[in-house]
Amino acid sequence: MKKVIYLFVFMVGFLGVSLFSSSSYGANTIKIGIVDTYSGPPATMSQDVLDGFKMVVNEINAKGGILGKKIEFVTRDEKFKPDVGLAMAKELVLKENVDILMGTISSSTALAVSDFARKEKIPFLVTNSRTEKITGEKGHRYVFGIAENTAMAGRAAAFALSKKPFMKYWIAGDDYEYGHSIAENVWNNLKALKPGVQLMEQTWWKVGESDFTPYITQIMSAKPDFLIAATGGATMVTFAKAAKATGLVARIPIYQHTVIDYGVLGPLGADGPEGVYGTAPYLFYYPETPANKAYVNEFRKTYGRYPQMFALFGYSAGRLIEKGFQKAGAVDKEKFINALEGLVIDSPVGKLQMRACDHQLQLPMMFGVVKKSPKFKDFLVASDIVMVPSKDYMPTCEEVLKTRKN
Amino acid sequence: MSKSTLGGKGRIVGGAVLILLFLFPLFLPRFYIYLVSIILLTGLLATSLNLPLGYGGIFQFHHAVFYGVGAYGAALMITKSGLSPWIGFVVGPLTAAFLSLIMGFICIRLSKLYFGMLQISLGSLVWIIVYRWYSFTGGDNGIHGIPVPDVISSQNSAYYFTLLVTLVSLWALHKIINSPFGSTLQGIRDNPVRSAMIGINVKLHQLVVLVIAGFFAGVAGSLFIVVDTAVFPDMLFWIFSLEVLIMCLLGGWFTFLGPMLGAAIIICMRTFVSGFTDYWTLPLGILMILVIFFLPNGILGYIEEKLHGTLVEQTVKE
Amino acid sequence: MDLIYAILSPKLMSQIFVGLSRTVILFIVASGLSLILGVLRIPNIWHGSLYMVGAFMMFTISGAFGGGSVGFWMALILAPLGVAFVSLIAERSFFQHLYEREHIMLLLLTFAFSLVFGDLVKMVWGMEYKSVPVPQIFQGSVHLFGGLPFPLYNVFLLAIGPIVAVALWLIVNKTKIGKISRAAAVDREMVGAVGINVSWVFAFVFIIGCLLAGLGGALVAPTVNVSLGMDQTLIMEAFLIVIIGGLGNIWGALLGALIFGLAQSLGILIWPQFGIVFPYAAVTIVLLLRPTGLLKSTW
Repeated sequence: MKKVIYLFVFMVGFLGVSLFSSSSYGANTIKIGIVDTYSGPPATMSQDVLDGFKMVVNEINAKGGILGKKIEFVTRDEKFKPDVGLAMAKELVLKENVDILMGTISSSTALAVSDFARKEKIPFLVTNSRTEKITGEKGHRYVFGIAENTAMAGRAAAFALSKKPFMKYWIAGDDYEYGHSIAENVWNNLKALKPGVQLMEQTWWKVGESDFTPYITQIMSAKPDFLIAATGGATMVTFAKAAKATGLVARIPIYQHTVIDYGVLGPLGADGPEGVYGTAPYLFYYPETPANKAYVNEFRKTYGRYPQMFALFGYSAGRLIEKGFQKAGAVDKEKFINALEGLVIDSPVGKLQMRACDHQLQLPMMFGVVKKSPKFKDFLVASDIVMVPSKDYMPTCEEVLKTRKN
Repeated sequence: MSKSTLGGKGRIVGGAVLILLFLFPLFLPRFYIYLVSIILLTGLLATSLNLPLGYGGIFQFHHAVFYGVGAYGAALMITKSGLSPWIGFVVGPLTAAFLSLIMGFICIRLSKLYFGMLQISLGSLVWIIVYRWYSFTGGDNGIHGIPVPDVISSQNSAYYFTLLVTLVSLWALHKIINSPFGSTLQGIRDNPVRSAMIGINVKLHQLVVLVIAGFFAGVAGSLFIVVDTAVFPDMLFWIFSLEVLIMCLLGGWFTFLGPMLGAAIIICMRTFVSGFTDYWTLPLGILMILVIFFLPNGILGYIEEKLHGTLVEQTVKE
Repeated sequence: MDLIYAILSPKLMSQIFVGLSRTVILFIVASGLSLILGVLRIPNIWHGSLYMVGAFMMFTISGAFGGGSVGFWMALILAPLGVAFVSLIAERSFFQHLYEREHIMLLLLTFAFSLVFGDLVKMVWGMEYKSVPVPQIFQGSVHLFGGLPFPLYNVFLLAIGPIVAVALWLIVNKTKIGKISRAAAVDREMVGAVGINVSWVFAFVFIIGCLLAGLGGALVAPTVNVSLGMDQTLIMEAFLIVIIGGLGNIWGALLGALIFGLAQSLGILIWPQFGIVFPYAAVTIVLLLRPTGLLKSTW
C-alpha cells in the first residue's frame, strides 16, 4: 500500500507542479519563443543562432529594453522532428503566450510552423532554415526569412559553376525539404546558364544518415565529373568526414552549400575536405571591415569561440526585433510586421534590408574553395573568395511572388 | 458507457467527467483544449490497442502502423483527390482496417511472441515505405496544411468533433467487449485450447478483433488530422507503438478506461515536463519501472482491485 | 568469361564489401540480442541503449588516453567491459526478479530502461554529437576492385567479425557454462533441479549479450556520428535480424545480418532512393516463407 501512495504522490506532484508551471511574467516583457534543434548534430548551429541573438538581447536589456520592456525568450528543443517542432510551437503560442516565434534549423519544421503562424497571426522569424519555399511558394504575411534561402544559394552557386568545365553531374543529398530544394535550385539555374550539362543520377539518403560509405562508393564507381552534395545541418559534418575517409574528396570535385562556414570547417579541424567548393553568407574572417572585426571580437569575448554564419542570423533577428518594435511604437504584432517590411539594420557585413515584397532578408553571398590557411592552424578556411552583393543574385520580387499561390 | 465495473459511485464520477468534458471550452485556456483533444484521440488509440492486447491476449506490438496508415490514408485522400475531406475521414479508417486484415491474415498463423515479431517486421516495412517515398507521402516532412471542413476547423469545434467521435467509438468498443463476441474473445485469451475444443474458430475471432482494432486506430488517425491538420511519419514508428503499449500498461490493461488514463498521464507528462527540462523520458522510464514492479495491472486496475477485492478480469497466462 | 566479369564488376564488388563491413556491426549486436532472447526469453530493447553507451564510452575513454592509437585500443577493450558492468548491476537489481513474468512485461521493462538511459546519456555526455577519430594505422584506404578505395577501418571490421563469431561459438558450445546456458534455455527448471544456480547462469548470459552490444557500439564509433538517437534505428534492425535468423541462434544472427547488410548496400546500387527499403522487404519475404526464422531457434 505504501508503494502505491508513493507512486500516487509522485504522479500527482508532477502533474500538479506542471499544471501550474506556465511562466507568469506580466505584460512588462516582450516574449520570444524559439523552437530549434538543440540535440544531435545540428545543435552546434542552433546554439550559434541563439548566442548571436543573446548578444543583442543582452545589449538591449542593459539599455532598458525596447519601449521600456525587456526582452525575454524561451527555447524548445524539437530534436529535428517536424511533429515535435510543431507541437512545441503550439505550446509556445497557446500556453506561453509569446509575442514572436523564432526558429528553426529544420526546413520541414519551419514550413509546418509557418503554416501554424499564419493561422494564429503571429510573426515567425525563420532564422536558420533555408528552403526557398518559406518566403517563396509558401510565403505569407506572418513569416520572415532571415537566413539565405536555397533559391539565392542555388543561383549564386550555379553562376560560379557555369564558368567551370564540368559537364556530367551527380546529385546526392538528404531526402527532405532542404536537400531537394537546394539541389533543384542549383541544378535548374545551372541548366539555364549552361544547357549542355547532364544529370547522370540522383542519390537520396535519409536525414541524419550516419553511414555514407555505401552511397559514396556507388557514386565513385559511376565516375561523374562533379557532385552536388545537398546536405543539411544534420549531415554536413558526417558527410564531410566520410567523403574524406573514402577518398571521394580527392577524386571528384564537390559543391556543398555552407561547407565553407566555420560551423562545418571548425569541428572538422584538419580533417576538413580540401578542394570542395561552397557558398555561405558569412565568414568571420572576411571581409575584414571594422564592423566585422568588432563583432567577432565581442562574440569571442562572450563565448570563447569564433562565430559561425548562424550567429549572424540570430544577431540579425535581434536587431530586427529591436528596430521593428521601435519603429512600430507599440508591442503590436500587426504594427511590428508593417515596420519590418523594408526595414534596414546594421550588421557586421554592412547594412541589410528586409525586403518588403517577400519578407526575405537580403544577405550578401560568398563563394569560395576550402583550403588550408596560413593564419589558422586548427581548421581550414575558404579561399579565393568572391563576395556577391544581394542585388546581383537574388531572385526578383516578381519571380518570387509568382511562385505563391495566393 | 460509464465505468460499469466500478459500480454506482463510478457512474456519478463518470457523469461528472462527461459534463466537464463538454464544458471545457468555456473556461479552459486554448492550449489545454488542444491538449485534451490530443489526449482524447490518443486515448482512443490506446483503447483500440487494448482490444486485441488486454481482452484478446494478442501480442499487438506495432499498433501504431494502423494509426499512421489511417492518418496518411485520410491525408492523401484529402490532398491528392479533389474530393471532400469527409470522404477522406472515412477512407482513413477503412484503409487502416484493410491493412489490418492483410497483416492479420499473414501474422495470425503464428502465436505469442512470433506474432508480435512478424507484426513488427511488416509494420516496419510499411513505415519505411511511407518514410522514404518522398514524392508521394512527403517523406520526412510529412504532410501539413491539410484542409479540414470549415465546420470543424476552429479549435473549439475540432475539440467537440473529437470528443463526439471518441465517445461514440468508445461506446462501440464497449459494446463489442460486452457482447457474446467479446466474451468468446476473452475465453480464447484465457484458454485457446479449450475454446477450440468447443468449436470456436479461434483464428477467425482473432482476425476480426484485429480488423476492428485497426479500424478504430484509423479513426484516431483521422481525428489527429482534424486537430493538427498534419501527418508525420513518426506516427508509424515502432517506438510510438511501444509508447501506446505503455499507456495501456500504465492505466491498466484489464480495465476499459485504463488505456485512456494512461494516455492522459503520458501526454501530460510529455507536455509539461518538456516545459521544464529536456529530460522528460527519464521520469517516464522510472514511472514505468515502478508500475511494472508494483502495479502490474496498471493504476486503474489497482483501484479496481482495492474496491472490489479481486480483479474483475483475469491475468494473461503464458 | 565476360559474363563473370560483368557480374563481378568493381561496382558490385565494392558495394558487397561495404555491405559486409556493415554486417559485422549488425551481427555483433544482433548476436548479443539473440543470446538474451534465446536463453532468457527477454526481448531486450535496452540493447540499443547499450550500443549507444558503448559508442559514447569509446569516445570518453579514448579521449582520456590521449585520443591516438593507444586510446583507441584501450577504449575498445574497456568500453564493452564498462557496458557489461552496467548491465550486471541492472540485471541483479531489476531483471532477475522478473524472469517469471510474461514477455510483455520484460519487453516493457527493457523499454523503460532504454528511456531512462536515453536521458542519462544526454545528461552525462551532453547533446552534441561526438567524434571518435580513426586510429593512425587504419586511416586511409586500400585500393581494390578496379582502383576503388575501400577504407582500411572497414577492412579491420571485416577481420574482427569472424573472430567474434568464432569466440562466441566457442563460449556457447565448448565451455561448461555455455552448455549449461543452452540447457537452461530449453528447460530451466530441470537445470535448477540438478543443483545448478540458474540465476547466475542467466546473469552470465545477460552480461555477455550486453557486452556484445557495447562492443558493437565501440567498433562503430569511429565511422559514424556518435549521437543521441543512434539506439533507436539500430534496435529495430537488430530485432529484425534476430527474428529472421531464429531466436537464440548465433549463426542465424550472422545469416540475418548478412541478408540485412547486403540487401541494403545492393539496394542502394539498384535503386538509390529506396535502398534502405530493401532490407525490410527482405526480412518480410523471409518471414513469409519461414515464420520462425531461417535457422532453428532455441525455443
